[in-house]
Amino acid sequence: MKTLNLEAKIGAILLVLLVLMALFAPLIAPGDPLAISGEAMLRPFASEAHWLGTDRLGRDVLAGLVHGTRTTLLVAFFSAAAALIVGSIVGTLSGFLGGLADIVLMRITEAFQTVPGFLLALATISVTGPSVPTLILAISLGNWTQAARVTRAEVLSLRERDFVAAARTLGMRPLEIAFREILPNAFGPTASLAAISVATAILIEAALSFLGFGDPNRVTWGSMIAEGRTVLRAAPYLSIVPGIALVVTVLSIHLIGRGLSHTERLQP
Amino acid sequence: MTETYLNVRNLNVSYGKTIAIRNVSLQLAKGDRLALIGMSGSGKSTLAMAIAGLLPKQAHIEGTIDFAGRRPKLGSDIGVLFQDASGSLDPVMKVGDQIAEVVMTHLGMSWISARVRAAELLDRVKIPKALSRLNSYPHEFSGGQKQRIALAAALAGNPSILIADEPTSALDTVIQKHIVDLLGELVKDGGLTLLFVTHDIALASQQADQIAVIYQGEVVEAGASGQLLREPRHPYTKALINTHISLDRPRSKRLPQIDMAGLQ
Amino acid sequence: MPPLASFFLKRLLTALPVLFIVLVGSFLLLEAASGDAVDAYIARSGTLDAQQIAQLRMEWGLDQGPLYRFEAYVTALAQGDLGWSTAFERPVTSVIAERLPVTLLLMSIATGLAFFLGSLLGIAAGARPGSVRDRLLSTGSLALYAVPGFWLGLVLIVVFAVDLRWLPIGGMESIASGKAGLARMADIAVHLVLPVCALAMVYLALYLRLMRDRMAEIWRDPFVKGLEARGLTRRRIVWRHVARNAVLPVITMLGWQSAAMLGGSVVVESVFSIPGFGRLAAEAVARRDTPLLLGVLLCSAITVIIANLLVDLAYGKLDPRVRIGR
Ligand SMILES: Nc1ncnc2c1ncn2[C@@H]1O[C@H](COP(=O)(O)OP(=O)(O)OP(=O)(O)O)[C@@H](O)[C@H]1O
Ligand SMILES: [Mg+2]
Repeated sequence: MKTLNLEAKIGAILLVLLVLMALFAPLIAPGDPLAISGEAMLRPFASEAHWLGTDRLGRDVLAGLVHGTRTTLLVAFFSAAAALIVGSIVGTLSGFLGGLADIVLMRITEAFQTVPGFLLALATISVTGPSVPTLILAISLGNWTQAARVTRAEVLSLRERDFVAAARTLGMRPLEIAFREILPNAFGPTASLAAISVATAILIEAALSFLGFGDPNRVTWGSMIAEGRTVLRAAPYLSIVPGIALVVTVLSIHLIGRGLSHTERLQP
Repeated sequence: MTETYLNVRNLNVSYGKTIAIRNVSLQLAKGDRLALIGMSGSGKSTLAMAIAGLLPKQAHIEGTIDFAGRRPKLGSDIGVLFQDASGSLDPVMKVGDQIAEVVMTHLGMSWISARVRAAELLDRVKIPKALSRLNSYPHEFSGGQKQRIALAAALAGNPSILIADEPTSALDTVIQKHIVDLLGELVKDGGLTLLFVTHDIALASQQADQIAVIYQGEVVEAGASGQLLREPRHPYTKALINTHISLDRPRSKRLPQIDMAGLQ
Repeated sequence: MPPLASFFLKRLLTALPVLFIVLVGSFLLLEAASGDAVDAYIARSGTLDAQQIAQLRMEWGLDQGPLYRFEAYVTALAQGDLGWSTAFERPVTSVIAERLPVTLLLMSIATGLAFFLGSLLGIAAGARPGSVRDRLLSTGSLALYAVPGFWLGLVLIVVFAVDLRWLPIGGMESIASGKAGLARMADIAVHLVLPVCALAMVYLALYLRLMRDRMAEIWRDPFVKGLEARGLTRRRIVWRHVARNAVLPVITMLGWQSAAMLGGSVVVESVFSIPGFGRLAAEAVARRDTPLLLGVLLCSAITVIIANLLVDLAYGKLDPRVRIGR
């Protein structure tokens, strides 16, 4: 791997810290983060037991923040992975098969692009009900199209190359060629989309839970922001603190993505 | 004896460890026409661009370039014509505007008179229906026409020196000849000083009254073209002449493939 | 055929299958949810006897096969009938027609602001790629790009509405102010400042980066050397040539951005209590009003298609290398 630039290093360090926080959440903040643990509406740094204060009901903000990392990262990584996998498969099929299959698949891709991803997620949740797996499904539904387009373009340029012709003369079947030879080679540019996908997923998950369509049995940063909103005048920090966590997480992913992408073009 | 017009003294150019130009000195009088010849990678373009002041940032330059007591200014003292014409025209601006903006910048004319002047220039480089083509975009012209337009833009600021870096080698033979003739005509009519970079020794003798031969970043031989062709002194020049490069041959055969080992 | 007409025809031909797929998708969602819709309706309207329920199911075609329902759905759609909103007790079409203009207004101001300011800052950064100014702006835009709009909205409310009391906390206009004409427009403008900012910032960051990256690419294009060789001022090269070339591909982003911004308007309108199309989507889900939700999906797809059409049309006008209809 080539050496990372400073920005990417900062991003990577932040992300590692976040992942550690998610993994060791039960150790950092033991107990149920949704349980009432003290006096309500304590200000940050006012109490030893509640560093970041407590919310309207007396739940610890730090515990919510730490456990919220779990939900955020879980949903974001799995839905981005699902989106990338589905996108690359559709893109590979479309680019490799060509003809009618290509037309149909690209029209479907376009249709998914045409419906705003957030609305699609909202609609899906309204049918399936909110839980972690359905959130992953809902978010990836609107997130796979770009991967499909990028993979397809890459496949179209790759299929003319030598090693594909070589595979053909070796008598590999078309689909075998597509998935054994072309897909792995086309994956590079697709992977640089990963950062954007993860960031998008985090933001959609946050927005969904902010609106109250997140998993009700889990703490999420979005729901914490929504919680805090009800006492925005008296305790703005309740909304602001989890939002900062969101910004830091998304920023760390963008920093990594920009450091990894060769062209710097895919990553706005 | 005319006074020295452009004076290049002890010029050295290096790109990191690669030394592209070694201690080159040149004097040009007004109206001189000098051809730089040499094989690929010898440093012709580097020398020409150093004089124009267009070398990339990573180039390290030493020595002086003096034009009437100062550094020459691009556009108004020096016009430059590149090998790739479409590479010097903005793809999304009307050619008339591209010429007119040079006129405005250097001659301080109003927009209207600059456009009129642009039409004159297009006419001078023999673009048919010049006035109506002012509003066309570069992609609407052929390769040869684009090179003519680039020439018009290069001359729009009334420079007295024209530097042409292989202006025809991207074009096919017939069009090459048209451009070369046009260039010769404009240079003669305008009394321009010409610095002409080429691989092609026949073209050099036809276009220029002086030739400088560059080999590995050094001027190994320079002089009046007739003299130099008749009595070459440096073995490299002799080898160049012996390959009988001429305009009539297909371009692929003209590139001098000279075995330098025997010449050292 | 005149080039513009054939352009529209061609676009319509590609848009139709896309719309059809969206339609099928919506219908499948409707199918998956329709049981709930009747239950929800029953739950809300209180006591319905078995006969009334059966009547309702028949009206909604629930006693027939899915193909029959799809046909009925499409036939109704073709007549501009998006169904009956159970939450609003009104035709979906009329609810959407009431809400959509608000969001379109919000979105067009936000898009204009994001595109204008974003491109300007992008030019400032891209004028000298690698300079200190470029690094500052690029990093700043990356940070801004990470800020969720709804949270930014809350922060803006805390600062400008709660603490400073400069701007209203939410709503589209002052309630029962009795204002009319210019005074009313000014009132609406004041109310839209914060939501527009909350909605626009992410895209401002996006356009900044796109513009900057494109300019960095254009600088490497050989024609820029040709411009330098003609002695043009750097200012002229930056604004009239490099920025002008860079802005064209950025413009093509505007169409798809409308889709993302429609999504963003859902949360931003909720934060600022703006009675718009975006918040309608959230309300439809919260109140289990599936016909309304599908109407919203369909209308946003149409909005995005139209936005892309307009962008392509504008692009054809702006890029001389593209000639529409050819
Ligand atoms: N931007 C650059 N960076 C590093 N080295 C360079 C650069 N430009 C030219 N060189 C080197 O400088 C030397 C002279 O190059 P130059 O382009 O002047 O040759 P030339 O005589 O114009 O060749 P040609 O006939 O192929 O155009 C070559 O060895 C080349 O590799
Ligand atoms: Mg050269």
